[in-house]
Amino acid sequence: MKRRKVDLAQAPATIARGTDERFQAATPLRALLNKVFPDHWSFLLGEIALFSFIILLLTGVFLTLFFDPSMKEVAYEGAYPALRGTEMSAAYESSLHLSFEVRGGLFMRQMHHWAALLFMASIVVHMARIFFTGAYRKPREVNWVIGIILFLLGFFAGFTGYSLPDDGLSGTGLRIASAIMLSIPVVGTWLSAAVFGGEFPGHLIIGRFYIAHVLLIPGGLLALISIHLALVFKQKHTQWPGPMRTNTNVVGERMFPRYALKQGGFFMACFGTVALLAGLFQINPIWLFGPYRASEVSSASQPDWYVMFMDGLVRLMPNWQIYIGDYSIPPLFWPAVVGLGTLFTLPMLWPWLEARKSGDKRIHNLLERPRDNPERVGIGAMALTFFLVATISGANDVIADKFHISLNAMTWAGRLGLIIGPPLMYWLAVRVCLGLQQHDREVLAHGVETGIIRRLPNGQFVEVHQPLGPVDDHGHPEPLPYGGWVVPKKMNRVGALAPAIKGFFYPVEKPAEAPVSPGMPPVSGDEREEITSGR
Amino acid sequence: MTSDTPARRRLRVFSRRRKAPSRARRRLGAAVRMLAALALAGGVYTAFAPGAFAEDDRQLSATAQEGKQLFDNSCITCHGKDAQGVDDRGPSLIGVGAASVEFQVGTGRMPMVRQEAQAEQKKPQFDKTQTKQLAQYIQELGGGPQIPEGELTESLESNPEALARGGELFRVNCTSCHGFGGGGGALSSGKYAPSLHDATPEQIYAAMLTGPQNMPVFGDNQLTPEQKREIITYITMQLQEDKDPGGLFNLGRYGPSTEGMAVFLVGITLLVFTALWIAGKS
Amino acid sequence: MTSVQHDSEADRQASTVDVFDPKVSRFDIVKEGLRRDEIEIITYESQFQGTNSKAEKRVVRNIAFLFIISGLAALAFLGFYIWWPWRFELGHTMGDYYTPALGLTLGISLFALGFAILAWAKKLLPHEVSIQKRHDGASPTDEQLITGQTAMFVADELAGGVQRRPLLKGAIGLAAAPLGIAAAAPLIGGLIENPHKGDPPPLFSTGFNPVHNNGNPVRLAREDGTPIRPEDISTGGQATVFPGIPGGATNEFADSPTLLIHLRPDDAEETRRNAEADRRNRGSMYGDYVAYSKICTHAGCPASLYEQQTNRLLCPCHQSQFLITRNAQPVFGPASRRLPMLPLGVDDEGYFVAKSDFKDTVGPDFWERP
Repeated sequence: MKRRKVDLAQAPATIARGTDERFQAATPLRALLNKVFPDHWSFLLGEIALFSFIILLLTGVFLTLFFDPSMKEVAYEGAYPALRGTEMSAAYESSLHLSFEVRGGLFMRQMHHWAALLFMASIVVHMARIFFTGAYRKPREVNWVIGIILFLLGFFAGFTGYSLPDDGLSGTGLRIASAIMLSIPVVGTWLSAAVFGGEFPGHLIIGRFYIAHVLLIPGGLLALISIHLALVFKQKHTQWPGPMRTNTNVVGERMFPRYALKQGGFFMACFGTVALLAGLFQINPIWLFGPYRASEVSSASQPDWYVMFMDGLVRLMPNWQIYIGDYSIPPLFWPAVVGLGTLFTLPMLWPWLEARKSGDKRIHNLLERPRDNPERVGIGAMALTFFLVATISGANDVIADKFHISLNAMTWAGRLGLIIGPPLMYWLAVRVCLGLQQHDREVLAHGVETGIIRRLPNGQFVEVHQPLGPVDDHGHPEPLPYGGWVVPKKMNRVGALAPAIKGFFYPVEKPAEAPVSPGMPPVSGDEREEITSGR
Repeated sequence: MTSDTPARRRLRVFSRRRKAPSRARRRLGAAVRMLAALALAGGVYTAFAPGAFAEDDRQLSATAQEGKQLFDNSCITCHGKDAQGVDDRGPSLIGVGAASVEFQVGTGRMPMVRQEAQAEQKKPQFDKTQTKQLAQYIQELGGGPQIPEGELTESLESNPEALARGGELFRVNCTSCHGFGGGGGALSSGKYAPSLHDATPEQIYAAMLTGPQNMPVFGDNQLTPEQKREIITYITMQLQEDKDPGGLFNLGRYGPSTEGMAVFLVGITLLVFTALWIAGKS
Repeated sequence: MTSVQHDSEADRQASTVDVFDPKVSRFDIVKEGLRRDEIEIITYESQFQGTNSKAEKRVVRNIAFLFIISGLAALAFLGFYIWWPWRFELGHTMGDYYTPALGLTLGISLFALGFAILAWAKKLLPHEVSIQKRHDGASPTDEQLITGQTAMFVADELAGGVQRRPLLKGAIGLAAAPLGIAAAAPLIGGLIENPHKGDPPPLFSTGFNPVHNNGNPVRLAREDGTPIRPEDISTGGQATVFPGIPGGATNEFADSPTLLIHLRPDDAEETRRNAEADRRNRGSMYGDYVAYSKICTHAGCPASLYEQQTNRLLCPCHQSQFLITRNAQPVFGPASRRLPMLPLGVDDEGYFVAKSDFKDTVGPDFWERP
């Protein structure tokens, strides 16, 4: 039998053709390879969350290979001498085993925990970027809502995750969680009994949290992250205003080769950051906490940072108890249940609230510089201040201790700060925005300050301004319209921001454009979005 | 945390200013402190003194004589002649025992600089011998608890379970104030439980025995000397020796608050700078 | 993307490039693809002057260096992973540096790899500015209309059909509702537990209930189960006590941990005065001893930071403060309810017993607490 000759060089083409015959992949694949992404550092913040999530999946799978989600009491006989002989749950025992008797196990555990903190941190930072630049406006409202649900899911993923080792600190957190459930009017006791399988702590909760932590919540996260990304793909990324950039185009780099390569490099940088954190900084030393006992507690008992705002609100809540006949609503209910619910629902509605207030129903693909919408920045500053004061109050005992401040004073400072801080920051943020706007307009009207002082014949001193645009017959600059983008404020920035339009792909027929000043209208400014300045 | 750097002093000044915003508050504070001092005086006195006042002509050993000299120079203003105590200033020291003196003077808490929520730990004013002399004097005046002679830690060779048992006792009795990592913690209204990271076995033993400041007393009837030694073994071997296998930095073992700060200050900062570089003009 | 496919027929005709012509360069074909995807490349140029320029060589050297660093650090990681002592031992050992060594080497390796790739993308690949058209907004109105009508048609066939046939409507209702509940029932029903089930009801009783000791008063015990006598606690001292029953110190009785405090006489006097004035706490003290539930009435943490001079109990979780001398009333923080007092007594052998269970409900508050 004659052997068929295999031409290796033809193999890729053959396989590709075969694939396309079955899936008609050629056209969509080309569209994907060619897709254009805008390039700005702030667009990479969300990627940190995505990459952290991938690291979480990878390290998490490793951890499950060693973790035993059981609350059966065992006596520890492992490598860590300070707990030998102590009665503990199998979950805690296996966490210690994983930390001390699995090669590299502690490193993996710490990577997982740091990646979780980084995941939540980047979500918050990414969300702030979206908010302050108005990226959530039509048509992207739904993706904003998905983002908030992702934060909420991450919140619960984190809480269930750090409860799993069943150590002294996380057990305290579980007890508070049960108290929060108990505080809900009418159904509280039933809810707590359903979750814990009877009275706290029972024997089931670690197993239930385990399945939630490794299957249900990650499943939800995975599904929503997929939709989140698919929507970014479908709706195309927003971009900053600037030369050539309009509401109907995307200016940037094609996905391949450059953009994808950058993403790959950034993933490695994220992975490297998590590895460095996990190696250098000890996190959650469960061996010091001992097994959970209802009678043991430590000073400075706090949840992880993304739950701390809730703990802070609980700490600041005055002890107002409401009695309704023979029944009562404990003060814990308001910050922990009503507060949490409000803090997640209100931001979800925000895109529609803003659109309703401004009457703006247009599609926005160009971002707004924060200063161009002082109202929004003010609201955002309010929300962030509230979050920050609540989070700091979640650690107020540590701050009180380490900075020698009275604990009671810290609580009162938090209570007052929660009321006074947000409006103050609103006012401040609005003033700063208006000031920045004003300065932009001045530079556009009069030019850049050169620092050169000239004396006029009448003895008057004036500063020479370098106009950014053309001048009239008397040498006075003609006022330039504001383009929604950075205005050069220093002499050495003039021209530095204008990308030259050149290169051998540019049609020769078209006359070469003069270097575009940022203040100038864009080259293809047909559907230029109107920038509404001020309030 | 209690080292006396200029920054700390400034901080303390700052925190004091925040604590006492008005004259009324200050007066109230003074009254509370006075009450506390009175309560301490009465309490300690009734607790330990079997009703016998020290007598002047009492025979003092040579060491105690030295101690009396020191006492009459440095302590008598507040604690009075023959340590009988002075109203509004300082409690009687009859019956507090040598252990109490060694703790209070040995950690620099006494002599106090001023009356405040809690005596601050600072550089001791007396060296070891002088402290012993003072302790001997107070001991001979009215008796009271003493730090036993000999090793205050358990040897793991002869008692291999000491570490684990000490850990368990530590978590039951100590962590609620001093924290899982022994870093200390806040109490109400400016009081605090100090860090244990540079406490010596003698100081820890004395503190358990005498219950200084707001710390409860753990007498020998409650925690046997062996149990005390086990706790000290756990503190010195496990907590003080920086046993942090999880990294070069333990973030003060303050738990999630410093971990949360680290993820922003290190993680997010590092990655934001990377992102700036990626998107920056080359 | 749908719109791109929609237009592709027209695109093909508008094409000026014959992609099958072997003389057409690959780049022209790429550009044709870009045109079909409505992308225009404005700039695509090498970042270096000419080929093999000095600057280019330097960048290539740097990138190669980063890749080599990455490889070396990865090797170091493997070396540490395999040969460095990693088991936990007491005292300062080499093993303390196992995790830091892994983190540093892996971190450096990944960072170097990342920066090598980034530098490659940023410095070596040609500088590019492309513009792609967006297609926002709604679908064409005729498409909207057609899809809407199709949906209405489907609805009409199904829902309208049901509307016209009342028997079907009722039958579907009768089928769907029970089935839906039946599907949900096992999911939810299995989880439902009656929180008030049991005698004594678990929410209102603790391990100090005499039921657990055949109706006899339950002794107070230390964490190791040994009973405790009044002389075991010094003045100004406190101890955490548990019901002296099997498993009394375990999480089975998570509401039972109690703080037994030996007050100084004058504080005890004040405490007794206040306790006697209270209907529920009357007669609950024993001498200068008082016992309060350790479980905070706010969120259930052990409120166990006993300040022996100011007689306060502080909860480390949310900073609620309770005044021991005043029936443990909350004086600061979010707690709204006092800590329950355990009625203390001493049995014939001189050990502390609980004369009865707590008279107030122990633990965090809830709706139906009487």
